[in-house]
Amino acid sequence: MSTLTVDISDMKLSAEPNDLIVTYALGSCIAVLVHDPVRVAAGMIHYMLPLSETSPEKAKSKPAMFADTGIPLLFQSMYKLGCRKQDMVVKVTGGGALYDDKGVFCIGKRNYTVLRKMFWKSSVIIAAEDVGGSKSRTARIYVGSGRCTVSSHGEETDL
Amino acid sequence: MIAPQQILSRLKELPTLSAAVVRLSALARDERSSAADFEKVIRPDPALTANLLRIVNSAYFGLRCRAESVRQAVTLLGLKRTSEVAAAAALAPVIPHRLPGYEVEASSFWLHCVAVAVLSERLSVELDVRCPDLTFTAGLLHDLGKIAIGVFVAGESVEILSWTREGGMAFVAAEREVLGLDHAQVGGTVAQAWNLPPAIVDVARWHHAPGEAPETADRLLVDLVHVADALAHSLGMGTDVGEMSRKVDAGSEARLGIRARRLEHVASESLEQVRELAQQFAPAPGGTR
Repeated sequence: MSTLTVDISDMKLSAEPNDLIVTYALGSCIAVLVHDPVRVAAGMIHYMLPLSETSPEKAKSKPAMFADTGIPLLFQSMYKLGCRKQDMVVKVTGGGALYDDKGVFCIGKRNYTVLRKMFWKSSVIIAAEDVGGSKSRTARIYVGSGRCTVSSHGEETDL
Repeated sequence: MIAPQQILSRLKELPTLSAAVVRLSALARDERSSAADFEKVIRPDPALTANLLRIVNSAYFGLRCRAESVRQAVTLLGLKRTSEVAAAAALAPVIPHRLPGYEVEASSFWLHCVAVAVLSERLSVELDVRCPDLTFTAGLLHDLGKIAIGVFVAGESVEILSWTREGGMAFVAAEREVLGLDHAQVGGTVAQAWNLPPAIVDVARWHHAPGEAPETADRLLVDLVHVADALAHSLGMGTDVGEMSRKVDAGSEARLGIRARRLEHVASESLEQVRELAQQFAPAPGGTR
């Protein structure tokens, strides 16, 4: 069994049933967790920002940094593993926020809004989500079972 | 509640920041200083020398050729920058393996320190404001108080976290509620006890309440570090158990003229630099586990 760690602006996939994919310290960033129970494969992206227009150069070298370049890449990579869209179970977590009266630190909210728009346009249904709030999260997906967990403040719950 | 004497006695148990840092920051402000003066201060400390050369040669500083000696480092990087790197080199060994109370490993705490140092400087460029002296160093050392207060926070962590979860209180306010003081107040005391320059003392003391900093403080510097600290935690750069529960000062946002898109640009441009610099000491960025 291997544990694959997804860093900030990073993506990992596996078709090895004993593998675990994990990402730590999700604040305003969002993790999208995808599992295909038919192909028995899973993938996770931990993107940091909503739109690649913020830094087109970075989007080229690090597409997983942005929702609009990273999420399509995650799905395309799953398809390359033999997964089919209709079989994939998609879950979402992160998108937290600080206490900010002026709303300048709205990265988490913007990350989530862009994701919802993209999923709506491409008819992707979110099976479960745990987003928002002022907390840091750790997300895990078990490749074999598709079980997803989110931990925060020392408490772990199934997603 | 913690009595001030308890903090002071705790300070005596802490490893101290190399005295070289204080001497170097004084030398960096003295126009008559030379590379040889720097060498005299740094070379007697082999660990500091080794750490300094490792950081100096990281991609972040973009040297055109590799520095093999302290004198070369000073020549290539300049006096001011070298004194900042020396602060980074001196901080790393002071960080405990794990920060009690904040549930964060040394590697994550270090990642956060480096992130705030880099983001503070990057913010000043992005917002086209003056980059005050010691911005990098003050960003790096802003959370010194956590090293000293951690054991006390650990003892009361259940109550502190319940204030943040149920009362919607910022973690730093919950520290004050339960312990009678917070890590920023303690940080100011630690920085003073270590004879660090006043600008660093002010940032350690006021980085959670920039609007309350006295007239004598460099408000721009405190604002930059306050925003960089919030951004680093928001992005998960070394986030600990409580720092997502934090208030961003509207006064700082107004004084700096920040917009969401500019913060995002700073974040996108800084991530790789932060990671590269942090890895000079930490095997891999982690996080709250």
